[in-house]
Amino acid sequence: MMLKVSLLLTALMLFAGCTKKANFKTKVLNLRVAADIKGLDPVNAGDTYSSYEMARVYESLLTYHYLKRPYTLVPNLAEAMPTVSKDGLEYTFKIKKGVLFHDNECFENGKGRELVASDFIYSIKRLADSDNRSNGWWLLDGRIKGLNEWREKSAKLKKANYDEKVAGLTAIDSHTLKFTLVEPYPQFLYSLAMIYTSAVPKEAVNHYKDQFVNNPVGTGAFMTGTFNQTSSIEYTKNPNFRDVYYPTEGTKTDKENGLLKNAGKKVPFVEKLVVHIQKESQPAWLSFEKGKVDILAIPKDNFDSVVNPSKGITDEYAKKGIELKISPDLDITYIAFNHNFPLFKNKKLRQAMSLAYDGVEANKLFYNGNGILAQTILPPGMGGYDEDYVNPYRQYNIEKAKKLLAEAGYPGGKGLPSIVYDTTAVTTSRQMAEYFRNAMKQIDINIVVNTNTWPQLTKKVKSAQTQTYGMAWLGDYPDAENFLQLLYGPNKAPGPNGSNYDNADFNKKFETITKMQPGPKRAAEYAKLAQSVAEDAVYILGVHRKSFGVIHGWIDNYKFSTFKHGHAKYYDIDLDKKKKLFEKL
Amino acid sequence: MNASTNYIIRRLLYLIPVLLGVCFLIFIIFNVVSEDPALILAGKNASAERIADLRQELGLNQPLFVQYLDIVKSAFTFEFGQSWSTKQNISDMLTRGAIPSLTLTLPAFVISTFLSLFFSVIVAYYRGKGIDLFIRITCIAMMSISSLAYILFFQYFFAFKLGLFEISGYEFGFPGFIPYIALPVIIWIVLSLGPDIRFYRTLILDEIYQDYVRTARAKGLSEKVVLFKHVLRNAMIPIVTYLVVQLPFLLTGALLLESFFSIPGLGGITIQALNSSDFPVLKAMAILSAVAYIIFTLVQDILYTLVDPRVKLQ
Repeated sequence: MMLKVSLLLTALMLFAGCTKKANFKTKVLNLRVAADIKGLDPVNAGDTYSSYEMARVYESLLTYHYLKRPYTLVPNLAEAMPTVSKDGLEYTFKIKKGVLFHDNECFENGKGRELVASDFIYSIKRLADSDNRSNGWWLLDGRIKGLNEWREKSAKLKKANYDEKVAGLTAIDSHTLKFTLVEPYPQFLYSLAMIYTSAVPKEAVNHYKDQFVNNPVGTGAFMTGTFNQTSSIEYTKNPNFRDVYYPTEGTKTDKENGLLKNAGKKVPFVEKLVVHIQKESQPAWLSFEKGKVDILAIPKDNFDSVVNPSKGITDEYAKKGIELKISPDLDITYIAFNHNFPLFKNKKLRQAMSLAYDGVEANKLFYNGNGILAQTILPPGMGGYDEDYVNPYRQYNIEKAKKLLAEAGYPGGKGLPSIVYDTTAVTTSRQMAEYFRNAMKQIDINIVVNTNTWPQLTKKVKSAQTQTYGMAWLGDYPDAENFLQLLYGPNKAPGPNGSNYDNADFNKKFETITKMQPGPKRAAEYAKLAQSVAEDAVYILGVHRKSFGVIHGWIDNYKFSTFKHGHAKYYDIDLDKKKKLFEKL
Repeated sequence: MNASTNYIIRRLLYLIPVLLGVCFLIFIIFNVVSEDPALILAGKNASAERIADLRQELGLNQPLFVQYLDIVKSAFTFEFGQSWSTKQNISDMLTRGAIPSLTLTLPAFVISTFLSLFFSVIVAYYRGKGIDLFIRITCIAMMSISSLAYILFFQYFFAFKLGLFEISGYEFGFPGFIPYIALPVIIWIVLSLGPDIRFYRTLILDEIYQDYVRTARAKGLSEKVVLFKHVLRNAMIPIVTYLVVQLPFLLTGALLLESFFSIPGLGGITIQALNSSDFPVLKAMAILSAVAYIIFTLVQDILYTLVDPRVKLQ
């Protein structure tokens, strides 16, 4: 028996020894994703990771310029940016001609047909169809004329009638598409850059039925076969991909960073794309160090070994040709007050608590000092962010905090009840809670920390059962409206305004400004509005986080983006360099 | 119909009330006392109306009795419907997830059982001697280290430093999966050896001091024959109990190992469902685990009759 067991173990070892060798002949890009992918149907693009995968296959009318910052919308499947009617209600798009869907058995003879305007109408109706339970419906809810009515009518039918016309969705001809809105909504264009609104062919949905979620058929640079729950997803270059070229302009530093050396060249550059699903950071990091993953966000545990105190890459990794990429994320972290709670109607109390919170120290402790201290809710890189603005109530000042607390009616914390802070049970969240508790202790405010699972915390926030809680918000699109809506009264819980802030003046200004067309005037108004609520201390503001990533020296053209939809088509691999650098790993 | 068949049929019929009870517990946990899944599933931007609509669409507004009947129906038909978060067919998800889980857990379980039994007989044979002491101390030392430490170290040293194994990943089909499961299998074995050897050693030592062993030795039988033919056979009932109890858990996957080695098994599916409040998947896993447990308990009873002729199924 022991002999058999030993033989089995030896066989295991021998088989195991057959590990995969590096590929120096074909351009294969290896990326990592940190969560399971929930399928590849654009109406389910609710989680960031799945939406990135969908965007390799599917495309929208618009997209963000690969190199330009602040993020700039550019045509993708649209021929040009739309013409907008004077009243801001009609958006007319010309769609690119000759764009083909991927070859797939759902089409006649298996050959992908040409994209037409009605494909977008069909795709938007799918988003609205309540049978699909899309978590992206919020994007168009109440925006397109007749779409809500179509949705309500469809919900009463056994099956939605996709042939029924929707007043706000018109295919003027095969390649001209007109959207009519209910009221002016300049942010509408951002909706058309999101994966939810990408073009889906009716034939594929009808052919694959409930398996469409696993059989993506788009127009993107890459295509994949049937998606299975697996440990990696392989994409191959779409042989029928239209002529798309690497951008010829970018930011001032892009040229010196070598990001324009492939300007004007046809994309994609790589033949194949493999996305490894690695939920844990150790295997992801080890795979990167072995050269089996080309680009990676630095795991927290490896940060100090990769990034030196002056925010450069350490010698150990520089010798291996590994490059460090630091980019600001479009987000905000904060501690929210529940403004429904009578205690927090007291502005001076909120301001006192904000002043007692040492954001600089918190940044050092929890973000390695790399976050940008938030002065308002708006992060850098969007209209309304004012880098010169200093929020007087976010500067750490215990004396001033104590004074304000006394003015609030609680001198030395007397008469103030204990305040509950809700957070998740994750280690870092608990540490942050402890830090907050100690900060408030300095002005004699007692914080009781309550840990929850994520569903518990969500329920509490959405049902307004918290007093204070820690949270972060990652922008869905680069418009201040997406951040300021967190404080808009009608969005109160269970809507995205979990703090239940409801200020009539703010609400009125928000409604006016968000209807303005983009430009310096609107940006100035956004800035004023953000600063007014910042000084109202609606939140204790945290930081705007930065993304720290590493790439191997053989990767060309890489630029970080918060909206990295379909960006893999711009990345290139220098195979000679890869062969040389691999020896150093 | 003989007594054994009668017994098996009766035990299978017991499945019905037990499953109804399991369904009731699942119903209480998920449909009565749990957090509102619509709040998670609707996403961060959802309005109050959207959340209310979603509750309606998910059937969360239906009378509780109807919701309970839905669970009972799925328990008896194994039709679990669609995942709320991935929109995938749950039966397909679980079938596909069971393959990687079993390719990891089954060989690991079989090999670790053989090795543990072998070493436990050795230490029982050399009880009180140096080799016994050495193996016992080694077992305690192995048990004192957390499973996470083994995983981190083995993955770093054997896969990354020595390059003997793949760091993570999985390929469906034989023999493609072997390079990927080899290291997790070895880690499983190492993790199991410590507690298993100590447990089996105790069982064997219990038997060694029985009268029949003394008689066998008095008859002049060799120690090897006494140990392997008589002692091991008599220790089989608790061993079978111990082994069969573990079998349902092989189906539900090895959570940490699957997660660290990117094996797309049932453990990962369960955790993803937990994080996204995907109740249909969680209910399906709970029902399947209960059914597997009941069936394996029956298998355990049948195995008793094979290892000990004195046991009769009645």
